[in-house]
Amino acid sequence: MSKNILADLTAWVRTAPGLSMVIAVVVTIAATIHSGPYILVNTIVTGGMLALVATGLTLMLGVLNIPMFAHGEYFMIGSLTAYYIFTPISEFVLEHPESWLVTFGPLLAIIGALLGGAIAGAISEKLIFGPLRRRSTDNWVMNSFLLTVGVSVLLINLHQLIFGADFKGIIGYWQGMPISIGGAYISLDRALSFIISAVIVALFYLFMTYTRTGMAIRAVSQDITGAEIVGIDIEKIVLLTISLACALAAVAGGSLLFMIPSYPSVGLEPLYMAWFVVILSGLGNILGAVAGAFMVALLKVITVEYVGAGWDFVVPSALIMLILIFKPSGIFGSDVRGVLDK
Amino acid sequence: MLLEVKNLNAGYGYLQILRDVSLQIDKGEYVAIVGPNGAGKSTTMKTIAGLISPMSGNVVFKGEDITGLSGSAVAKKGISFVSEEMNLFVNMSVQENLYMGAYTIKEKHLQTERLEFVFELFPRLAERRKQLAGTMSGGERKMLAIGRGMMSNPSLMLVDEPSFGLAPQLTTSVFASLEVLIENGVTILLVEQNVTKTLAVTDRGYVLENGKIGLEGRSADLAEDSYVRKVFLGV
Repeated sequence: MSKNILADLTAWVRTAPGLSMVIAVVVTIAATIHSGPYILVNTIVTGGMLALVATGLTLMLGVLNIPMFAHGEYFMIGSLTAYYIFTPISEFVLEHPESWLVTFGPLLAIIGALLGGAIAGAISEKLIFGPLRRRSTDNWVMNSFLLTVGVSVLLINLHQLIFGADFKGIIGYWQGMPISIGGAYISLDRALSFIISAVIVALFYLFMTYTRTGMAIRAVSQDITGAEIVGIDIEKIVLLTISLACALAAVAGGSLLFMIPSYPSVGLEPLYMAWFVVILSGLGNILGAVAGAFMVALLKVITVEYVGAGWDFVVPSALIMLILIFKPSGIFGSDVRGVLDK
Repeated sequence: MLLEVKNLNAGYGYLQILRDVSLQIDKGEYVAIVGPNGAGKSTTMKTIAGLISPMSGNVVFKGEDITGLSGSAVAKKGISFVSEEMNLFVNMSVQENLYMGAYTIKEKHLQTERLEFVFELFPRLAERRKQLAGTMSGGERKMLAIGRGMMSNPSLMLVDEPSFGLAPQLTTSVFASLEVLIENGVTILLVEQNVTKTLAVTDRGYVLENGKIGLEGRSADLAEDSYVRKVFLGV
């Protein structure tokens, strides 16, 4: 029996996902030993955030065939919402240090970001994607792509017009002593932001796998006519999917506000990084997106550490080019159809 | 009267396929629509199922006008459509596909009851409940599509070309499974190219040609009709 498991394991290591994950783990361990535990911490925090944004992107692409280039702006909406909820809370907490808001205030801000993203997503579906879908689905991928680029420009400039171009940041969510793990000090904010993203990604995965609605979303992504003839209300599912995808990006923006302040084009970097993840891991694959997120995060952290801070976009981009040339379906995407394969 | 289609005109875009198609089905009947390629058989089915909205005419189901409702709304009324392409969820297991078929049923225990019923009808599906639908053979997929259609406990099943692309042996087993459904009191509207076989098993039939109903009557009579014999059976 144990021999069987071993044989399965070696077979898995030889596949593309297995090989790349083993390499990633080895590199993480080597770099952590060489440079210090902060490599591991940074990879995990960045990876957790990226996983949230990338899962949303995967959802938009896999279920709705929308190549979403406005996803970073929902990250921005999330961080902005969290900022405007948390600033008054932190002022209140300064005067009332014994209040329950010391502990739960940040959670309110992050939940606010989640809801803000969900509402913004629903509004975009009602005002933008829905009307386009009803008008014509010819050339859908191209048209919806152009539309998302337009939405991105619009939202960036709306932010600048209404809230100004300055950085809107906070000092920190949770004050307190950093936690010490194996000689590395991790601030409470970093640890909790990772826990939040881990919990949300796990909940989202369970939702997609086991609930009736999650299964309906997967059904729509696999065969939209089939979904319609079993009685799934397509319009409702599409609305829900866009809302969910945007909420995932927004909650990432909200929970990282202590690290990344909100400003008009704050979403561009997470957007590009999330696209790297989606290309790396293949389309419509949630677990693949999570694994890919940590790989891209690792790549970024390693590049900053050993090559230089200015190169953190160059190295991942180069890798993406190689992957597109040699394995266009992505590392985890072998059994998933691409948008253009239909 | 379970289903009544009155003077239905439908098509794709500007292309009209169906011209004044009318038909009726009573509860418990096994009715066939036969006709040559491109006659509009599948279009008729898709229009009843709500996947195409008609240009004019009415579809009345259980005394209620369901013309122009969306596919999902029609499914909720109790019409289940087994399409020619099957439209299975290929990356889901057999069991997940079947549970999706019961999407309109909210109560968990009713879903389980239906699942057991379908597994009883098609023991083959029970054996393969964990397998992905996309990895099954053509005949098994057809069974799964019919099984999925049964999951919602429909009053009427529209079955489009169940023998399409199947080996003759499998065709026989698919027809046998439809027979079982009829014995269980399901009403079926069947579209088929295999005219001999279809007219042998069904109660009544409609002959569709160029988007119009040419002939209608008891299947046994249609099979004897000299025109049908000449055009479809080549004798």
